[in-house]
Amino acid sequence: MKNDRNLITPRLREALHGYAFIALWVVGFSLFTLFPLLETFRYSLHRVTVTVEGIRLDFVQWANYTRALFTDPNFIELVIGYAVETLVSVPIVLIFSMIIALFLNQDFKLKGLFRTIFFLPVVITSGPVIRELTAQGATSAPGIANLPAVAEFIAQLPRTLRNPVEYLLTSFILILWFSGVQILIYLSSLQKVDKSIYEAAAIDGASAWEAYWKITLPSLSTANLVNAVYTVVTLSHFSENKVIQYIYNQTYAVQGGIGYASAMAFLYFAVMVILLGGVYLFLAQQANKERN
Amino acid sequence: MKRNWFHRFSGVRNRGINPQGFHVSQLKFYLLLLPLAAFMLLPILFIFSSAFKPPDELFAYPPRFFVVNPTLKNFTDLFSKMSSSGVPVSRYLFNSIVITLVAVAASILVSSTAAYALSKKRFKLKQTLFAVNTVALMFVPIAVTIPRFLVIQRLGLLDTFSVHILPGLAMPVGLFLLKQFMDSVPNEVIEAAQIDGASDLQIYWRIILPMIRPAIATIAILAFQAAWNNAETSTLYINAESLKTFAFYLGTLTTTASGANAVAGQGIAAAAALIMFLPNLIIFIFLQSQVMSTMSHSGLK
Repeated sequence: MKNDRNLITPRLREALHGYAFIALWVVGFSLFTLFPLLETFRYSLHRVTVTVEGIRLDFVQWANYTRALFTDPNFIELVIGYAVETLVSVPIVLIFSMIIALFLNQDFKLKGLFRTIFFLPVVITSGPVIRELTAQGATSAPGIANLPAVAEFIAQLPRTLRNPVEYLLTSFILILWFSGVQILIYLSSLQKVDKSIYEAAAIDGASAWEAYWKITLPSLSTANLVNAVYTVVTLSHFSENKVIQYIYNQTYAVQGGIGYASAMAFLYFAVMVILLGGVYLFLAQQANKERN
Repeated sequence: MKRNWFHRFSGVRNRGINPQGFHVSQLKFYLLLLPLAAFMLLPILFIFSSAFKPPDELFAYPPRFFVVNPTLKNFTDLFSKMSSSGVPVSRYLFNSIVITLVAVAASILVSSTAAYALSKKRFKLKQTLFAVNTVALMFVPIAVTIPRFLVIQRLGLLDTFSVHILPGLAMPVGLFLLKQFMDSVPNEVIEAAQIDGASDLQIYWRIILPMIRPAIATIAILAFQAAWNNAETSTLYINAESLKTFAFYLGTLTTTASGANAVAGQGIAAAAALIMFLPNLIIFIFLQSQVMSTMSHSGLK
């Protein structure tokens, strides 16, 4: 018995405990997410036909991918639109939620109530509410973009800027509704900042403005990253997202098919990874700069 | 008594996160936050008001925000449709409630244990697993629908109760958020507990879980919404009418209605959306007090 005990080093025991804790998740994850994901990749290289006996696969190499990239008239345009919209939205969501979090971290009456209200978007942007809202056209404010002065302004802009600006104006409300969890993450990391650092800075003669740039912002750099990832992911998985709807429609369309839709899903995924990579590199670089 | 209840559960002025008095210096916060808060409340008001709109207001152009002549007609239409269908509504409702409760509890358990291992344990596959999770988090869920169907078929889960619960358990978003929150729990606390002789389970249950309560509550809200609003599972994996969910049922009512009569369909859809939304809002109101009030304690110096 004693000998057996010695065989298990503390390190191994810790690892075993770790595996025990994660085992449940690994089983569920690999069955219902990882394996289907790999299967989808396999489908994307085939032409998939559903027959009575099951699914038939004809290997077509990268034909599905080349079709999405070079033949399909809609896909690329939708993806570019998505990429631009995401790049516009992420900074807005981050800045908005940071400002709100900074305010909610102050002391004032009814703070609890306000925190609740700003966390509300969590229940708005998913499920039946947003569907109903978009169906009724409440998520966009078309009025703003149609105002003569604004329309004039948009027409003056160079072509590349026109779409993002228009998107910004019409969907501003929608963008703000994506900031529930982000506000929460910012708030929790703001509360982890040691108050005595601010006191020390104040004694050294730092203004509130300087304290914000030198203390608050650097301590939010991890939260920035988490929030950026979370924002990109929620924006990309939003059920009203046009690319997703297109992929979904193609899955069951006659000229589309499962293989083609799978290929598009992977391309979409690749674009998302590139976007995330870009955002990540940008934020990591900022964080490094602040450290130096 | 009533006041007490309100204080305990609403998160308003409980556990001292609000200062005691009002001061003129606080005025600037209200100036900025009040309009934005009103802005955040708009969609909720909209859902409520459009459920009570008569047809002519639902289709009014330009659309009107508030209802002028509130009517209960949408609800009576909805309920009369409900009573005319074969399976009793209570059956769908029961299914949805059981599924949602089990799914929320189980997915919190699975995600939080996994997050504990990924955040605080050292083992070989740790980095890889988290990377794989992050990748899965980004992947479009609808693209895996068909392979997932095949897996479920092969496991013999088609037309069973558990198919509503099992696939959603390993929630990539849940693991991602929980792991990030757990990373900020200092290792010193855990080491101190280990020295005092706490086992892993005790550390997880007594230390980690209480400390990340805000994150748990957030995940609970997300998991609740995913389970409660899930009509897809009933469409794809369930044939037996008695195993389908309330979300699916309301969906069928509104789509068949809009096929037959687009005008009445809109009204019924608005009423159904309100009914679907109310549990979300109630759960949110209950759980947010957890999210908000414990957050001020979770920070460690």
